[in-house]
Amino acid sequence: MIDLLLASAITLSVPLVLAALGGAIHRRAGIVNIGLEAHMILGALIGAVVSGATGNWAAGALAGLIAGGLSGLLMNVVITRLKGNEIIVGLGYNIVMFGVIGYVLRAAFGVSGTLQVDGLQRMPKLVIPGIADVPVLGALISGKDPLFWLCIVLVPVLAWLLRSTRWGVRLRATGASESASASLGLRTLAIRDGAGMVAGALAALGGVALSLGTVGLFNENMTAGRGYVALAAFYFGRSKPLPTALACLLFGFFDALQIRLQTVGGFNADIISTLPYIAVVVVLALTGIRQHYRGARTLS
Amino acid sequence: MTTAPTHEAPVAPEPTDSQAPFARRVGVAISRVARHAGVPIVIALVVGAIVLLLTGNDPLEVYGRLATEAFGTPSRINATLAATTPILFTAIAAAFAYRAGVFTVGVEGSFVLGGLTASVIGSQMGDVPPVVSILLPLLGATVAGGLVAVVPAILRSLWQVDEVVTTLMFNFIVTGLAGWSVQSFFLAQGQANSSTDYVTENAELPALAPPGQTSWGLIIALVLLAGYAIWMRYSTLGFEFRAVGSAPRFSVAQGLRVRTVLATALVGAGVIGGIGGGSHALGLVHRYSEGFSANFGFTGIAIALLARFNPIGILIGAILFGALNAAGATVQLFINLPVQIIDVLQGTVMIFAVAVFALPKFRKLRAGRAERKRS
Repeated sequence: MIDLLLASAITLSVPLVLAALGGAIHRRAGIVNIGLEAHMILGALIGAVVSGATGNWAAGALAGLIAGGLSGLLMNVVITRLKGNEIIVGLGYNIVMFGVIGYVLRAAFGVSGTLQVDGLQRMPKLVIPGIADVPVLGALISGKDPLFWLCIVLVPVLAWLLRSTRWGVRLRATGASESASASLGLRTLAIRDGAGMVAGALAALGGVALSLGTVGLFNENMTAGRGYVALAAFYFGRSKPLPTALACLLFGFFDALQIRLQTVGGFNADIISTLPYIAVVVVLALTGIRQHYRGARTLS
Repeated sequence: MTTAPTHEAPVAPEPTDSQAPFARRVGVAISRVARHAGVPIVIALVVGAIVLLLTGNDPLEVYGRLATEAFGTPSRINATLAATTPILFTAIAAAFAYRAGVFTVGVEGSFVLGGLTASVIGSQMGDVPPVVSILLPLLGATVAGGLVAVVPAILRSLWQVDEVVTTLMFNFIVTGLAGWSVQSFFLAQGQANSSTDYVTENAELPALAPPGQTSWGLIIALVLLAGYAIWMRYSTLGFEFRAVGSAPRFSVAQGLRVRTVLATALVGAGVIGGIGGGSHALGLVHRYSEGFSANFGFTGIAIALLARFNPIGILIGAILFGALNAAGATVQLFINLPVQIIDVLQGTVMIFAVAVFALPKFRKLRAGRAERKRS
């Protein structure tokens, strides 16, 4: 029981972690990415289609990654170069992307909503011999897909990149103060475009984890607001890689619990689905209040 | 006390000259809408044309068909106005908050909860006298819509918590709560998808021209729009709204009621959105079901931005988006065209409503010219 719950919590949080890490990078560069949902659904579609065409999951994942990067760049260029407001552009971008995908599914593939791709290869489950039978540890790390291991690697690597490399420092400087960074000669727009590409690519990989992970098909509603949960996660984790990933794990656990309780009965899925958002409001309120009183003290 | 918002409203309003005669101001407003909306609409049409061409449709034929479906006959115009009504409400709500520099994206949530409340109250109106049977659900919708915005309003006005994220999160919280309460308490028997009971006949907002679907909701929206215009221009708090919106720090220094303005802006937008949801429930769909709001809250934002918060512009923009919605719903009966193309068009307009189209050089040139004029 607890093994099953843990295993499904981790499986469910992999797409969240990927998207939220992308969003966190973008946030550190100074842009709130509302379009994660759009990048995810695009990655899910491209991943499924290419995996079906080539019969190779890795090719699908790579194609999803590239498509997501381009999509992230496209959205970000409107924000940086055309000075569009990040929130409005993100909301509009989601509407457009879901419109385009819904349209293409019906007009080009002739299906409404769900696309069964012939010859689609799902991601392999990496069962670790020896650990697979250990009670809790087995559920935690055995039988997971490669993107899970990518998450495990990405969290420390991104933390290190942000803290200790030239790219990371410049990125954080751009996010902290664009005008100061620009006055020091940083190409702030290009840095933000790069961060936007990373965000799009990672979110799209999150989408790939959905379509090539457990189910092996594409549905136009399959992201089901996960892009916004990812947004909640990087706000919850203050855009730091490890706290963000842990927030995703918590939200993934809520999700697993909700599925589990649905089969048991007596608890409502809709209520549990609001928990991540309530958590974010609470965290924002607490940090806001704390900053307010700290600020008041130092000013007076 | 600092009240500097973390986000600024996405575009600046451009007030018309209050000394000019009314007809002139209308003309100025229309030409401005044309200028601000022209480029986004052209881009949207081009993007839509690319999508259409790639899937083997003739864009000109599709757009022509959309235009006739929106305005071709009186009954189609009626359908367009019916589709205009909900987004006119949400656009007024967005504009109301944005004039004070408050960047709410929570109208969607207020619209949903307002609709649910009106449907639930409206389904219990069997033995209530005629006019009360409409006012009571609408009152409930108003309160519900305002309630959605109360927490973000408190957080924003007292502790400067960024309202963008809190209002966005409240949309999802409200959607979840609405789904849960429908499932647990208000589920209609024998319906395929989860929805509430239909409202009783005496709680329906009557249609303006009976076979058509346009209801008295449109009149309510127009009254609200006029109220918005008058309030912003002539009331004291309306003046403070505009002052806080254009110069927040200066307003603090001048001792304007910044906190009141911020809280009123957020709750007021929620209230207007709630009335919109209530009118939509009582006037058009007559019940609450899943997917009650087809992104109306976000479409309203796009309209308010395109119009630069000008009331006449809001009306024109709402009719334009309403026409798209109405035409998209029926055009698929004639040509094999997925309705999602409408989302593509609307979303593109929304994105480019906030984009700045000025070549850097040109902008500098214009700034220089303005400088010379001033000196």
